[in-house]
Amino acid sequence: MVSYVGKRLLALIPVLIGVTILVFSIMHLSPGDPAQIILGPKATAESVKQLRHELGLDLPVYQQYFRWITNVLAGDWGRSIQMKMEVLPLVLDRFGATFILTLASALISIVGGVLFGIIAAAKKYSFWDRFLMFLVLVGFCMPVFWFGILLQIQFGLKLDWLPISGMHSPGKTGFVDMLPYLILPAVSLSAGTGAVIARMTRSSMLEVLGQDYIRTARAKGMKEQKVIYKHALKNAFIPILTVIGMQVGFLLAGAVLVEMVFSWPGIGTLMVKGIQARDFPLVQGIILFVATSYVVINLLVDLIYAYLDPRIKYK
Amino acid sequence: MKRIPKALLAVSLTVAAFMAGCSNEPAEPEKQPAQTEQTSSGEKVIVVGLQAEPTSFDAHQISDYNTSRAAMEIYDQLVQFKDESTELEPDLAEKWDVSDNGLEYTFYLKKDVKFHDGTPLNAEAVKFSIDRQIDPKHPYHETGTFAYADFTFGMVDHVEVVDPYTVKIVLKEPFAPFLSNLAMHAASIVSPEAVKKYGKDFSKHPVGTGPFKFESWTPGVEAVLVKNPDYFKGAPKVDKLIFKPITEDQTRLTELESGSIDMIVNIPPDDLERLRADANLQVLEQPGMHVWWTAFNTQKKPFNDVKVRQAINYAINKESIVNNILHGTGELANSPVPPTVWGHNATLKNYEYNPEKAKQLLAEAGYPNGFEVTYWVPESGSGMQQPATMAAAIQADLAAVGIKVNIQTLEWGTYLDKVFQPKEKMDMDMHQMSWVGDNGDPDNFLYAMFSSEQWPTAGFNDSFYKNETVDKLLKEARTTLDKQKRTQMYEEAQQIIMEEAPWIVLDHEKQIVAANQKIKNFKLHPTGVFRFANVDVE
Repeated sequence: MVSYVGKRLLALIPVLIGVTILVFSIMHLSPGDPAQIILGPKATAESVKQLRHELGLDLPVYQQYFRWITNVLAGDWGRSIQMKMEVLPLVLDRFGATFILTLASALISIVGGVLFGIIAAAKKYSFWDRFLMFLVLVGFCMPVFWFGILLQIQFGLKLDWLPISGMHSPGKTGFVDMLPYLILPAVSLSAGTGAVIARMTRSSMLEVLGQDYIRTARAKGMKEQKVIYKHALKNAFIPILTVIGMQVGFLLAGAVLVEMVFSWPGIGTLMVKGIQARDFPLVQGIILFVATSYVVINLLVDLIYAYLDPRIKYK
Repeated sequence: MKRIPKALLAVSLTVAAFMAGCSNEPAEPEKQPAQTEQTSSGEKVIVVGLQAEPTSFDAHQISDYNTSRAAMEIYDQLVQFKDESTELEPDLAEKWDVSDNGLEYTFYLKKDVKFHDGTPLNAEAVKFSIDRQIDPKHPYHETGTFAYADFTFGMVDHVEVVDPYTVKIVLKEPFAPFLSNLAMHAASIVSPEAVKKYGKDFSKHPVGTGPFKFESWTPGVEAVLVKNPDYFKGAPKVDKLIFKPITEDQTRLTELESGSIDMIVNIPPDDLERLRADANLQVLEQPGMHVWWTAFNTQKKPFNDVKVRQAINYAINKESIVNNILHGTGELANSPVPPTVWGHNATLKNYEYNPEKAKQLLAEAGYPNGFEVTYWVPESGSGMQQPATMAAAIQADLAAVGIKVNIQTLEWGTYLDKVFQPKEKMDMDMHQMSWVGDNGDPDNFLYAMFSSEQWPTAGFNDSFYKNETVDKLLKEARTTLDKQKRTQMYEEAQQIIMEEAPWIVLDHEKQIVAANQKIKNFKLHPTGVFRFANVDVE
């Protein structure tokens, strides 16, 4: 087990080198010059040249890459061209907000999705099955930003129950103050993912419920609840877990849109802004960070498989 | 299944630890508790919803509106624009002299002014604030990237400290708009001690002399300014200003309508009517120092023929674009110079909508059946209003006179790269662009965009326009100190430019701010900067 984790972590290195080279090339090959964008259309060619020199953009791309990667390894992620701040603290701070949002939506979508899926499977073809699957379809089809705006208008403006945007009340910090701000963005982000999980749970449960050992359990006179939660769910969970693992990556991507709509100060808004401004150090820092966490999440999911299914062994 | 709760416990503990560690601490967390208490004790607070996040609170590094709106109340300049105009009045300088040759500007500073950190404002601080930006050898030049240094101080030879409260700025050559430059953000006087103390992080710990002091900035969340009770022109009435970046137009509107923020900018034209009808809100508007145009490549066929350029101008229904696409958020232009800038020639008329005349001119120019062109359009961009919709309207109008327009849409960063190419590399037919004035001087509109010295990449003459009379007028006007003479020259230049039509001049975008009715005495300024020193909250 330990050697497996070690191997997986070692495999992280080539993945990350690949990611950094890819991001670096995409950013530097795409048209648009950060110096020109910072100085705006009004800048003279001379001042653009001067700034390019100050930012080290006049060096060949491979030299810029090596300069950047050696600095990153030494813990210096550079300074954002546009925000004039050090990249690493900025990314860490913003990633915290995205992490909270993603985690909350993951919880809502997993709990909601699995629950909906189980109920639909246990009462298949009933009214509840159809009703829940209809909700799931709606949740899946609705674009997150539009759903977000609807929630804002209904619960923020009309009912005035929850704040509309942001992460804290003006001038405040802390977890308790944040909770009401978290609800709407987390719900709108979880709709699509929750829908996929619900569909997966339903079909996986239906398959398991049709198997012989379930019939045996029922024949023994075991309570239906116990059959479903103890015997069926555990076996049905492996494919669900795979979907969940994949959907967490999807949540990170969806977070960009939700963060824009709700002015959630996460990494998504920062990245969009960074890309528009060709803020190379910032975008590279964000991608490096997100890629690392994505690979780590995948590793965690693989490890949880082994917990759930003793037949899966890692060597 | 038994092992799962343990795993869950571990995960939730990690999460709890993580959350505790990343609650978006502001730049100066130690001030937080006191501030929170005050907020609930009925102090006067204004919450402003900005369209984008401020990028730096260092006045010398500002290059966009959102940042200047959030940051400029921290600072003062030697001179300032009067309320609601771009005429100048004293600010930190009590008075000033200009030498007869127009090269030496001597400023006599007010003596009782202190920076927010308690250090005195003096001639050394003025010299420091300018030298830091323009002298690459200055010990604090490395503390920032100064986007506007060249524009604001490019003509400055050196700065001399005459005595502790007298400072002399010497120019390389006479430059009439210079005094106006000194009212701009890059000419703000910053505390040298604070720059020395914070270095590159001065942008997170700004210190000026202005009516509000910097309190905290949490990127992506909010920036907080508090009143400067010792402000040399008297303490402001509002205790605290909070600027929140809310990127989504719809979210910003909903926040305003729900009353959780007090003031927003950049209102989508479609929502304006609804806001005007809301009794809780006030909508303020004023034509800004802005102009929107489509430039022709005047050095390339068919646009090197003035008749073709005029024909296109006649073919476009500009009034319809302003009324139906912009819903009155812009004012139809009659010259590249907006009416809020002195020197604007009010006697001129823009080309009226007359497709028949357009066809006739095209026939005279040898294109009775029209031609085909490519039209570059950005997706969006600062000051570009509704680029795609406006381009589609222009495309339809030109199709009606036989000109086939192929629209090519580009992302803003890519677009700028493509538009500002030297003439030999330039394959442009026509493209959209806009300009927001910096210092309220007509030179800032006319010389920058119509002098043949300003062809890209040297400057902003994106139509590669060249006319000897215009060149001569514009060059002379920027070195003449007599304002009346300058006005005449600029009026004449505008007339020639409108006749020669290197552009389709469309409109001047209005600045529109919607605010809660409880905000009193807020006035828009043509420069787009917000002034809160005299604003009150009911």
